[in-house]
Amino acid sequence: MPDEGVLWSSVQSELILKEALSAMTTVTITIDGREVKARAGQTILEAAQAAGIDIPVLCHHPAVQPIGACRMCLVEIEKQRALQPACTFPVSEGLVIQTESPKVVEARKFVLNLLFSERNHFCMFCQMSGNCELQDLAYRYQLDHWAYQRAYPNLPVDSSRQYFVMDHNRCILCRRCIRACADLVGNHTLGLRRRGVDTMLVADMDVPFGESSCISCGTCLQVCPTGALMDRTSAYGGVKEEVERVKTTCQFCSVGCGAELVTRDNHVIRIEGDWDAEVNHGLLCVRGRFEPLYERRERITTPLIRQNGKLVEASWDDALQAVAQRIKAAGNTLGVLVSPRVTNEAAKLCAKVFGTAARVGSMSPVPEHLKREEGKLTDLDEADLFVVVGADLGKDHQVAGFAVKRGVNNKGARLVLVGEGENEFSPLAMAEFKPAEIEQAIVLAQGASSPVVVYGAKAGSELVLLREKLAGKARFVGLTPGVNSRGLQAAGLDKPANLSGVKVLYVLLSDDTADANLTDAAQGADFVVVQTGFETPLMDKADVVLPAAIWSERAGTITNTEGRKLAVTAALPPIGEARPDDQILKELAARLGM
Amino acid sequence: MAERLYRANVLVCGGTGCVASGSHEVMSALTRELKNRGLEDEVKLVQTGCRGFCAMGPVMIVYPEGIFYCKVQAADVPFLVEETLIKGRPVERLLYQEPDTHQAVPFYQSIPFYSKQQRIVLGNCGMINPDVIEEYIARGGYSALGKALNEMTREEVIKVVKDSGLRGRGGAGFLTGLKWEFTAKAPGDVKYVVCNADEGDPGAFMDRSIIEGDPHSLLEGMAICAYAVGAKEGYIYCRAEYPLAIERLKTAIAQAEEYGLLGDNILGTDFSFHLHIKEGAGAFVCGEETALLASIEGRRGEPRPRPPFPAISGLWGKPTNLNNVKSYSYIPRIIANGSEWFASIGTKRSPGTAVFALTGKVNNTGLLEVPMGITVGEIIFDVGGGIPNGKNFKAVQTGGPLGGCIPVEHLNVPVDFDSLKDIGAVMGSGGMIVVDEDTCMVEFSKFFLTFAAAESCGKCVPCRVGGQRMLEILTRITEGKGKMQDLQTIREIAKGMESGALCALGQLTPGPVMSALRYFEPEFITHIQDRKCPAGVCESLTEARCMNACPAGVDVPSYIALTAQGRYAEALEIHRTRNPFALVCGRVCPAFCESRCRRGDIDEPIAIRAIKRFMADQELKHPWTPQVGQPKKEKVAIVGSGPAGLTAALRLRQMGYGVTIFEALPVAGGMMAVGIPEYRLPRDILNEEIQNVIRAGAELRLNTALGRDFTIDDLMNRDGYNAVILAIGAHRSRKLGIPGEEAAGVYHGVDFLRDVALGKNPDLRGKRVVVVGGGNVAIDAARTALRFGAAEVNIVYRRARADMPAYDEEIKGAIDEGCIIHYLTNPIEAIVDHGHIVAIRCQHQTLGDFDRSGRRRPVPVEGSEFVLDCDVLIPAIGQQTDLSCLNGDGIATNRDTTFVTNKALATNRPGVFAAGDAAKGPATIIEAVAHGNEVAVAVDMYLQKGRLVNPVWDPPYQFPEQKFNLDDYAEARRPHMPELDPKERVRTFAEVELGLTEEMAREECKRCLRCDLEWLRKMGGATRPVADMFPVEPVKTSQS
Repeated sequence: MPDEGVLWSSVQSELILKEALSAMTTVTITIDGREVKARAGQTILEAAQAAGIDIPVLCHHPAVQPIGACRMCLVEIEKQRALQPACTFPVSEGLVIQTESPKVVEARKFVLNLLFSERNHFCMFCQMSGNCELQDLAYRYQLDHWAYQRAYPNLPVDSSRQYFVMDHNRCILCRRCIRACADLVGNHTLGLRRRGVDTMLVADMDVPFGESSCISCGTCLQVCPTGALMDRTSAYGGVKEEVERVKTTCQFCSVGCGAELVTRDNHVIRIEGDWDAEVNHGLLCVRGRFEPLYERRERITTPLIRQNGKLVEASWDDALQAVAQRIKAAGNTLGVLVSPRVTNEAAKLCAKVFGTAARVGSMSPVPEHLKREEGKLTDLDEADLFVVVGADLGKDHQVAGFAVKRGVNNKGARLVLVGEGENEFSPLAMAEFKPAEIEQAIVLAQGASSPVVVYGAKAGSELVLLREKLAGKARFVGLTPGVNSRGLQAAGLDKPANLSGVKVLYVLLSDDTADANLTDAAQGADFVVVQTGFETPLMDKADVVLPAAIWSERAGTITNTEGRKLAVTAALPPIGEARPDDQILKELAARLGM
Repeated sequence: MAERLYRANVLVCGGTGCVASGSHEVMSALTRELKNRGLEDEVKLVQTGCRGFCAMGPVMIVYPEGIFYCKVQAADVPFLVEETLIKGRPVERLLYQEPDTHQAVPFYQSIPFYSKQQRIVLGNCGMINPDVIEEYIARGGYSALGKALNEMTREEVIKVVKDSGLRGRGGAGFLTGLKWEFTAKAPGDVKYVVCNADEGDPGAFMDRSIIEGDPHSLLEGMAICAYAVGAKEGYIYCRAEYPLAIERLKTAIAQAEEYGLLGDNILGTDFSFHLHIKEGAGAFVCGEETALLASIEGRRGEPRPRPPFPAISGLWGKPTNLNNVKSYSYIPRIIANGSEWFASIGTKRSPGTAVFALTGKVNNTGLLEVPMGITVGEIIFDVGGGIPNGKNFKAVQTGGPLGGCIPVEHLNVPVDFDSLKDIGAVMGSGGMIVVDEDTCMVEFSKFFLTFAAAESCGKCVPCRVGGQRMLEILTRITEGKGKMQDLQTIREIAKGMESGALCALGQLTPGPVMSALRYFEPEFITHIQDRKCPAGVCESLTEARCMNACPAGVDVPSYIALTAQGRYAEALEIHRTRNPFALVCGRVCPAFCESRCRRGDIDEPIAIRAIKRFMADQELKHPWTPQVGQPKKEKVAIVGSGPAGLTAALRLRQMGYGVTIFEALPVAGGMMAVGIPEYRLPRDILNEEIQNVIRAGAELRLNTALGRDFTIDDLMNRDGYNAVILAIGAHRSRKLGIPGEEAAGVYHGVDFLRDVALGKNPDLRGKRVVVVGGGNVAIDAARTALRFGAAEVNIVYRRARADMPAYDEEIKGAIDEGCIIHYLTNPIEAIVDHGHIVAIRCQHQTLGDFDRSGRRRPVPVEGSEFVLDCDVLIPAIGQQTDLSCLNGDGIATNRDTTFVTNKALATNRPGVFAAGDAAKGPATIIEAVAHGNEVAVAVDMYLQKGRLVNPVWDPPYQFPEQKFNLDDYAEARRPHMPELDPKERVRTFAEVELGLTEEMAREECKRCLRCDLEWLRKMGGATRPVADMFPVEPVKTSQS
């Protein structure tokens, strides 16, 4: 085709020069007759938004790079032959812009009419009806009939993925999902097949989504403007007006992502990343976004006391009384195990109630090399070489792993893995070394300009060598196991508890799971108290079970691996008679006379 | 580089076109032959790039003489070497022949295809071996690079390019020098120079030919650009479908690097430039600059919004200068010859030349370079040699699938960036596709839209969905399922795409459709309202092209199939359902059907008219009494007994109406009786078919003239006719408008023929007759004059033979009988002596620019006057309707003397309809018959329903089965119509054509390919949509 089209004009040439000359200066432009100050380099859309002028968008999403594809944000600019997309057009001194002129409105209606004619958009049957950006725009521009004969294409619905579904019938090819997958997550699973009207969203080389390299982080889902991507738990679960949203912190690893819980009728129906959160900027991983909604464990809704070998329902008074009595009597034979899932507040109370003696400790203490807070997660985005030591970022701390993927896949950073065995990151790595081969990794890191060492719980003595050799050269980012290990650390609880000779065992499980070791530890005790939100095999040994609120029902703070204190907000009231850990501990303290 | 001197150079074209037609074989045959004859040391053989004249490939030039040979095959080589290289004689049969005169043109420079060209950027193409850098250097190559590097600063180079006024040849025509300046001034150390060689327009091969024929000019241009803008690296983005181009580029780059003309420290300076080739996968959108850059970077080839422009942020975000192949290839010439030289060529605002790939329905397809400002018509008719097979030019598409079409009325438009844009076409990168009358503009624009829609990258909504929706609408229209509303929707979508699409591909996708709509809207409307494709291209609407081409839609394949079986009566019955004048049309029909016959694409069209005549003649012995319908109480008066009036009368009788035909003359038949001489249409034959109408019960009143004997008021008020059809024909001759025209001895053509027909035989013995005109009346008058003993008959015609509207066989007949035709001659004065004409002063004409008919306008040649002696002057330059009969009847007429009618053929007066020549202007019998059918339906609807509707006469087609094996007739040939000997016939009015014998006729029928049956199979039982009888607005009476 002609290489230039007809876009070149003298106005354009003027623009080129202006663009070349533009520094970080302030310019004055006119939007809808209003003079607006804008920063050179800003887009018209950004300048308009800052001035409180609403320009509609579809393909644009603030979290991803603008591409000017959907043409919803077209505006009329004086001296420009065609309408221009506000999302990509840079401001320059003296621009005069109309955002809702008749010509603009006509163009937007045209785009909307085309979109509605393209695939099968039947709003009344869509789970996103009422929540859909496309539908909102149709109302805004008063589309009341099909302007163009519809094609009724026969398009598939891909439901091969566990947590969410892709319905091509509702896709408008805005590519937000593709950009989210590539730019934000660095995963590059999503792409396009064919071109023109045959363009289809595909995963990898057009395989079913469930069989693709998708890691189910759900970022695509979160940016989809229509009902093309729908999650199974909240589909048809209620429109904007019928749900409530609570901002909180994800409590499924020590990264501490900001999350928003979407609830309806005392159920969490969806979890979304909080775009404003500094730790994750809106991203979540499968463990934070989807898995909590598929919790299969039964809840404990009332206190239970063992009578005649059976746990029977009891009142809080009776249960706490029984527990207090035994604790008082236990003296030195009291042992306490605390899960790192508890909040800072619960941890502090725990320390207050039980002290920080040798028989009080964490269910999974942080290894010595991680005790010190080191590095910031934001360091990851500045690396040109990663050395990942003793961590599997595909399984744990996934959102930190996204930063590594962004670095490797999008910015050309190199990745060196140190540890045993292959993991999801192996294909991205330029080299993989055994801990014994750490010298080789050090050589590579020394050759980089901005190396970052990311280490996890499994890192060993090789870390010492790394620290020594790369001192002053590399930044180190440690990733603690558990959710709030740092909180336990602060409360002095992060150490292994000495349970030998323990007669009364208090397990503050909260909403954690108990492993076999714990069950073994409980064998020796005469009296076992389990404070838990869910049924657990440990209850077989329990004499008293105290029903705890879980992650969505409690408030307080947690401290992430960086040492950042993050707020946890209760989105739901505790189920039944369950109570948050800190409240239970408070009442216990009262009964213990503290 | 000591080169030996050869006594002759043979340049064989090695461009893709010639390679495809066998130039490699010719090349090896020549090598062999020269070796066998021991001439290797005397004759140098060079394989060059494209010479441009691809239609004639393989082509070669033999120097020093410059003899140009075309369509050379390996088998011709031994003789060619013997004759030309040994004996020094040209081989006549391999020379180029003028299509009109069949005159051989031996020398390259005198071939019209080349003589109007000015080859700058193609200057080396076909002259040098592109694989040998020395040949390029020998013709001054790389001296411009040397000049730039050693004698000029970067700024000076840019200034020269700016001053030359060179506009980018990629299509939009942005100033190349300005673009360079942007890149040069853009901040950044790393810059790139990129060449767009992603030529993807269907039918375009300009860039390819330059790369294949003269790759070094591109490399040199890019190197100069790199020096000017400060780039050290460059890319040529060339599509992988151009393997030869890529091959030659690779060779050229390697050679240039070896010579130190590319690479590090070029020509010993500190300027370095490394050039890479990037092979594109062939997505059309990758010709868009930002998509192209994305593709080089390895991303999906999609455009992005600009700004930022590539000059600021291009390849890998660095300042990048991007130009088309041609733009770069001009550069060495501009640097070497200076900006004034370049600016002096072409027009002020579009300096230089334009390179076009001329393809389609044009004689000289190929690659050409012409100065900007040349007209479209000159390119097509002079360089391109006009339209093949005597067809009419319809339009030319420029700018490829994103361009627009230029119709006949714009043939005089100069070719430059701005003029083309003004008329809705674009310069584009240089594709030019010519189409003739057999092209359906709806289908044609759909073709380009299909391409553009398929090539949409799918990124922005207007292009991705808009193109598709528009394509669906156009498809509906071509299938006869369109609505008038669709045209509005197309325009809406086009507007939305033009203003809203992201890149030029989307913005220009509606171009072809919009320009087709701009110039050919009636053709779209015919598809929608009449469910008919006038060109007979749209498959759903065209059972067979012959039927489609026939104005009355006669079921040709059926009567041919039945005639083949000897079932003449049945065949004739089918014929009469649409045309009751088989005997007449079997003799004098222009046979539109034959001009579109598909067999004609293979060898010669079926002799449909001859078969028709044979079939109808067989039934002469069984007079036809048409069956009439249930008598109706209404009666209709028909004024005029020509083919339209008679047909309408027959149809109305078949519907049961009472019909009276009023004829002013003493004979019935209109122009059939008094316009066509007996030697073409014997009177008794005509009367036979007039009698059919009488036998159907129509009353015929001869010598009863409207205006003299009755008025329309009389018919409707006094005589009780419920409707009147005016079918009064066009019997008045147009005047010449020259002094002396009123003198004695001037005898107008139609009057002359009418008088002869009515038995008023003129005495022309020994007279010198001059006939003025080139139509059928002129030729008929000339031949009739001969038959009345004229001593000499001169025909004076102001245009060329090819422009003559008379039937070719008639012109040939006249010449055979001794008429002398003076082409390009116009009478300017009748010289009168004593009130009587004695001579005609004539003036030679030359052909000027193009008129609205697509023919060149005759322009008088001053001082070329001459005098033709003349006793009788017969002007025959056209006819009009004689409106004097309408006195006081209040029927509105147009300026051209036709009646104002609407689609229902109704005039402004309720109940009065018009048909035939009086309604549509002078035309043919078959068109009058079609009108007769339609007006009968219109009158019927008016009388029965009281409504004016679009009348549709569309009896079903028959599709009789095929009774023999068509393969047996693959080799059969069209028979020659037996004719009376010219010497014999010139003294009598006996019919010239004698008719086919039964065997000839029946055998000829079997050559028919039966397109109708193939259509039936393809459509899988679906039937052709039939036009709606939609209501029509009455004619507004304000017109008159």
